[in-house]
Amino acid sequence: MTVRVAITGIGAVTLPATGGAAVLAHALAPPADGAGAALDPERIDRVLAELVEPGEARRLSRVSQLALVAGRLAIADAGLAADGALGLVIGTELGDLRSTIAFAEGYLARGASGLSPLLFPNTVMNTMASTAAIALTARELSLTIDAPGIAGEIAIARAAAFVAAGRIPAALAGGVDELDPAVAAVLAEARGGFAVRGEAAAFVVLESLAGAAARGARILGEVRAAATGALPASPYGVGRTSTSRVLARTLAHAGVGPGALRAVYTGTNGDGRRDAWEARVLAPVAAAPRIALARRFGQSSALGALKVAAAALDGPALVYGLARGGGEAALVIGG
Amino acid sequence: MRRVLVTGLGAVSPFGAGVKAYWAGLAAGTCAIRPATLIETDGFRCGVAAEVPDGVGGSSRRSRADRLAFAAAREALEDAGLAAADHRDTALIVGAVGGGMLEAEAWHWTRRGRPVRGPARLGAVRSILPSAHAESLGHRLGLGGPRESIVTACSSGAASLAVAAELIAAGAVDVAVAGGADALTRICYMGFSALKLLDSAPCRPFDRDRKGMSIGEGAAFVVLEAAEHARARGARGYAELTGAAMTTDAHHVTAPHPEGDGMARAMRAALAQGRVVPGDVGYVNAHGTATLQNDRIEAAALRAVFGEGRVLVSSTKSMIGHTMAAAGSLEALATVLALVHGLVPPTAQHEHTDPEVPFDCVPRVARETALAHAISNSFGFGGQNVTLLFRARP
Repeated sequence: MTVRVAITGIGAVTLPATGGAAVLAHALAPPADGAGAALDPERIDRVLAELVEPGEARRLSRVSQLALVAGRLAIADAGLAADGALGLVIGTELGDLRSTIAFAEGYLARGASGLSPLLFPNTVMNTMASTAAIALTARELSLTIDAPGIAGEIAIARAAAFVAAGRIPAALAGGVDELDPAVAAVLAEARGGFAVRGEAAAFVVLESLAGAAARGARILGEVRAAATGALPASPYGVGRTSTSRVLARTLAHAGVGPGALRAVYTGTNGDGRRDAWEARVLAPVAAAPRIALARRFGQSSALGALKVAAAALDGPALVYGLARGGGEAALVIGG
Repeated sequence: MRRVLVTGLGAVSPFGAGVKAYWAGLAAGTCAIRPATLIETDGFRCGVAAEVPDGVGGSSRRSRADRLAFAAAREALEDAGLAAADHRDTALIVGAVGGGMLEAEAWHWTRRGRPVRGPARLGAVRSILPSAHAESLGHRLGLGGPRESIVTACSSGAASLAVAAELIAAGAVDVAVAGGADALTRICYMGFSALKLLDSAPCRPFDRDRKGMSIGEGAAFVVLEAAEHARARGARGYAELTGAAMTTDAHHVTAPHPEGDGMARAMRAALAQGRVVPGDVGYVNAHGTATLQNDRIEAAALRAVFGEGRVLVSSTKSMIGHTMAAAGSLEALATVLALVHGLVPPTAQHEHTDPEVPFDCVPRVARETALAHAISNSFGFGGQNVTLLFRARP
């Protein structure tokens, strides 16, 4: 990377915790007894009711509300001014399929007169980014990255590259997915693979280290290297290759040997065949403790930012994700 | 930052399969917008669309959009003449919106008691998401580099080129396959109908009497390559991608900023990246959807950047419709081919230029002219603006 990239803010809406770095530091720490406490599944709805303004609650779909609240928390956590000089890179796997189904149902129930022009924009997957950009006055580039399993990790890697190249001064990067039981059930039936799904939104704020230092920002960590790639596998399938050039390249670029890693934040999510494949790929860093945040937060595109946030609080650490189909992302995060 | 060349082209358009068919249609000013056959239009005002003609090829178990994407990406790779060993680290960046929605709609509609054209298979849901194209293409083409699916609504195809160019310029990869694909879908057609943005006749961009857009489908991919990598293997470059800028309006989910602020910022940033001044640019392949609002605002942004009448402006959507995620990449191809052939594709159906569009819109007939630099504009829902700047091969 040409410009060093700092992590200066974290914001998340998750079932176990909602807030910035101070709140998440506690939530991201491994539970003393090795298991999370029982959580109320309606907690996120209460968070949204509390933190989303009434006008936004009327206009925005639920997944957009999730993204907006987490984005606001991250920006506030970073103490960043809303001056437009912000880019967005949002990862998602499922986008706003709930709105897509609702839009179609309008037609199926009432014909052409049942089509909602207000709902239609939500059927395009960038709806979370566009509504967040408006609310956060983010006028630099805005990208939505759709990927199975690792959209959040890819989004952070891509945003870090844009900051490193000097294309944007700061970026809000991470991911969001909501848990719609009907959508999840149909996809699981059609695709196979049964990860423990969750719903959450989580973002980190990335900016140049020099710029962050100049404005007196708190530095939570640094993205020391990031890369994405793909291992051979059929779509949504599990591959055989256990050697990852992305992993080797990322560690080499970061100048961090496997022995120096304090932790490896994996993608382990309860999908047995995928988890076993990832474990084989991560053999070169077997000495470092492996932490699987999906066990506590569920599988969603927010995991990337949660893993990066945890790594920043615990670095140097490796954040790794390997998806069915072979997509992979690796980031070395310095504390 | 490293220089980025375009070394391979592939397209499947409403003119048929292949870059040759695409350019022949554009150069002739042929309108491919006809009565729609893939989706049901009963009960709606608009009954036309620009469909890829029969012969898409590929297994019918794959989504139509997947098949369009594969044909275009394979053509681009073959055109670039890359060795198989190069595929191992080649990036694949796909602009996508509809994914396999056309087939998933058939399954869902039928399950809900309203059978429609096309087979109703649960398996179609597997490829419903935009990322399905990259998953399928990456596997079938053996591409092992970064694999990303970019969704920026109607600018997705152009954004894919911008992201790929950034990967190459920064040295992350030497080669990238980038582009966009979309098939017609009922949801897209019905959505734009609900917004009252579709013309019942083939669209007339920048025309005083325009009534809205026409939707279309297709796919286009390019091979982008680091200049030194291309030189080392003796590859020709069609053009150089010298600027790729993305901005966001942060204004409204469907309407562009009323003064075209985000559009103008994207154009200026691309020109700055390419180190050219507005007067160096001879042609703008406009977003030009033919909606009342978009064309006026894009014209205002063009006037702010280039000055009145200082550049040729045309919209190839007048011939192939708005192909959604494919639009940005099909139009990038049109821009590159305009540089290669020294021929500006026309705006079909254009009779009377809107007085608020103070540009020569190249009405109906292609124009021969030597071009050194040209840009392609793409704008999407949510105010997602992308401008690509190309330089002719020396």
